[in-house]
Amino acid sequence: MSVGLNTYLVLAAALFAMGLYGAVSKKGAVQVLMSLELMAVAVSLNLIAFSRYVTPIEMTGQFFTVFVMVVSAAEIGLGLALVLAIFKSARSSEVDSLNELKG
Amino acid sequence: MADVYGLAAFAVLAVATLAGALGMLVARNVVHAAYSLLAVSVTSAGLFALLEARYIALVQLLVYAGAVAILNIFTIMITLRRREDAVRSRDFSLPGALLALTFFAVVVVAVLDGGIATRTDVLAFPGVIEFGERLFALDGWALPFEISSLILTAALVAAVWWTREGGER
Amino acid sequence: MNWVALIPLLPAAAFVVLLPLSRAMRARLLWLPVGAMATSCALSVAALARVWPGGKLEEPAWAISWVLGTVGGKSLSLGLALDPMAAVTLLVVTIVATCVQVYSLGYMHRDPREGWYFAVLSLFTAAMLALVLASDLLLTFAMWEMMGLCSYLLIGFWYESEGPRKASQKAFLTTRVGDLGFLVALFVIYANSGTFDLATVLQDAAGWAPGVAVAVSVGLLWAAMGKSAQLPLHVWLPDAMAGPTPASALIHAATMVAAGVFVVARTLPIFKHAPMVMDAMLWIGVATAIAGGLLACVQHDIKKVLAYSTISQLGLMFVALGVGSAVAGMLHLTTHAFFKSLLFLGAGVIIHAAHTQDMREMGGLARHLPVTTATFTVGSLALAGAFPLSGFFSKDEIVTVLLYDHQYAAVGAVLFASALTAFYVTRLWFRVFSGPEQSEELHEAHRSMLAPMGVLALITLGVGFLSPTFMEFLGYKGVWPKPTVALTTTVVAALGISIGWWFYGRRSVVVNTRAWKARLGYLYDSLVHKFYFDLTYDRLFVKGYFVAAEAASQFDAKVVDGAVNGAGTAWVATATGADRFDRGVIDGAVNGLATLARSCATLLRRVQTGRAQSYQRLVVGAVVLLMLILVVTRGA
Repeated sequence: MSVGLNTYLVLAAALFAMGLYGAVSKKGAVQVLMSLELMAVAVSLNLIAFSRYVTPIEMTGQFFTVFVMVVSAAEIGLGLALVLAIFKSARSSEVDSLNELKG
Repeated sequence: MADVYGLAAFAVLAVATLAGALGMLVARNVVHAAYSLLAVSVTSAGLFALLEARYIALVQLLVYAGAVAILNIFTIMITLRRREDAVRSRDFSLPGALLALTFFAVVVVAVLDGGIATRTDVLAFPGVIEFGERLFALDGWALPFEISSLILTAALVAAVWWTREGGER
Repeated sequence: MNWVALIPLLPAAAFVVLLPLSRAMRARLLWLPVGAMATSCALSVAALARVWPGGKLEEPAWAISWVLGTVGGKSLSLGLALDPMAAVTLLVVTIVATCVQVYSLGYMHRDPREGWYFAVLSLFTAAMLALVLASDLLLTFAMWEMMGLCSYLLIGFWYESEGPRKASQKAFLTTRVGDLGFLVALFVIYANSGTFDLATVLQDAAGWAPGVAVAVSVGLLWAAMGKSAQLPLHVWLPDAMAGPTPASALIHAATMVAAGVFVVARTLPIFKHAPMVMDAMLWIGVATAIAGGLLACVQHDIKKVLAYSTISQLGLMFVALGVGSAVAGMLHLTTHAFFKSLLFLGAGVIIHAAHTQDMREMGGLARHLPVTTATFTVGSLALAGAFPLSGFFSKDEIVTVLLYDHQYAAVGAVLFASALTAFYVTRLWFRVFSGPEQSEELHEAHRSMLAPMGVLALITLGVGFLSPTFMEFLGYKGVWPKPTVALTTTVVAALGISIGWWFYGRRSVVVNTRAWKARLGYLYDSLVHKFYFDLTYDRLFVKGYFVAAEAASQFDAKVVDGAVNGAGTAWVATATGADRFDRGVIDGAVNGLATLARSCATLLRRVQTGRAQSYQRLVVGAVVLLMLILVVTRGA
């Protein structure tokens, strides 16, 4: 018995679901960003799994992962910078307190 | 011969990853959550390695486990007023839980429904050198790579601008 | 012979001429109406001469008719015709009218509206003359109504006072009640004969269904009862004495009251087909004669005595007609016209001299008014039926025809009435002419007033002896009264005169009439109250009418106005309801839409939480939903 693609896919899905939960329910801005990161990791795992089992020679998934990681890193950096900026003016990094666009 | 070592490695890493993710979610202290994420990053790097993606595994360790986690912790530290503020409630949300579970169920059903052909015959996987060659090959992934670096630059510039002295304008 | 038409036309022309003039102008043209009347009188004499020797004629001596128009295939015509009955009546009317007009010149001399008086008098006479000459019933009816109008105008001549006003209204309304009968009769006649021509109608009458003749007779009788003041429609005549005395002489002696008798006499062939109606007429006449006589006995006003006397004498004429004798009725009509008008004219002089109408304030006029006394005496004796005056002959004729018809009860009643007549006229004579004078200046009238009275007195003296000629002229056998009848009536008259003399005429004894009145008690009271006719009519009809009018007024105020107001209120309510509907429903709908939009907006706005995570949830939720759908459908 060996670990198949499906296992990795399920694992990635679990991780992604957990990250999703955190993204929609966490109150702290940093915690939301961390959950987003988790989702990114899950996505990368997915891609790599596909690469290994479906296109091992072409390594398509791996290349895609590079870009995912780049974007994710940019996103984290920018996000954290924003958190810092907002924290400076609002004196709080609670997500709910940033509701000035409330209709 | 069953790949018992591979299986064991996978099991350990998988469990650790899940534990780390779970820890991140349930942690009361936000710093603990950050450390859990670091753990996830490391263990997922291991999973990448297990999946013959050696370059990615290394980059994962460098970027996530190294830079991103540190950034996280720094931000937490800056945005904390007092030490006590690190501890907060668990923020349980039913809609979110339902959403996540539904998602998970759907994907599992879709996956288990099957139909994805896998190749099991390959024994030799390309290495890092080959990965690098292909990455920078003009008829490969060079263009996307350059574009992604532009994105990164833009993000960095924006980040610097947002956090400069004088506040946001 | 068309100049006969001038007989009514000349007085009519006098009226037309006088009508538009002012009072002053009229007063200056008085010779016109008097002259017209005198000319008519002369023409009547000529007409009579032409018709002489009369008798029962197949066709009238002269006839003329005009077609007024054609309605639905039937032509409407009016016509005049001259036959013996008409000729003799013309003469009577014109003679009396001329005498009255000449008398009026003196009597009304100082009245400011003298001219109008003569105008109406002329019109009245013209109407009567036209009625006499009329050959169709429509013209008769028209002239009948015209006389009613003139009577109203003359009775109410001095309308400044309340008495004349009320009297004229009463006269008009009472005769109007009678006129309804005439109208009904006309309808029935036209429905059955298709024409109003009298000759045709009289011939057709034989062929009518039984009830038709009865209906027509009843209608005509009722009308005649109104016009000729028979019970119970007699109530207007005593009150009519409020008018000028010469007018009363004309209207209530010779003409208007005679018109009823005249028309019945003319249409008697129709009555002959309704024996019950003739019987009714007989007994109505009897009752009227007795009632009139009784009431005349208790009057103090000289004119009222004469009025009730007229009622009584008209009753006698109806008695004659009731047994089918047109000639007896016409004879009495003729004699009565002359002596009654004479009495009225005399009464006018007496009243003028004594300055009162109440006999209790009169006395001893004989010494001072010789001519008046003489003429009045002639008239009184004629009224009492004393030989050889005219009244004797006509009364005897009536009794004769009654005996001929074996109506012995009626004979007794007539004799009783004659006794009463003699009594009250004697009472009047003695009260007025004998006894002590109660007034200072008693002077005779001017000769312009005495002359007509003299003429009438002479006629009264002589006409009785012409009665057989009269009867033959009208086509009947001319007879002198039978000795038995003559004796009986003379005895009765003497009886009445004696009783009257016993009460009022003796110089040596003054009878205590009050004691007698007390003895008669209840009878006397009812006589004084005129048998309560006026009281009953007043309570029943006059007051009843006012009650009905008040009820109608209330109905109008409550129901009609209520309905109108109710409609108005309903309209307002509808408008208010519409307004509420507009406000509530329509505005409500519009407002409701707005509120709905607002509620929706408020509801949907909750999506815009401003929190990133809620948007996140929405987006992710949508994606998950889509994935779910995909999986499920693929699985299915």
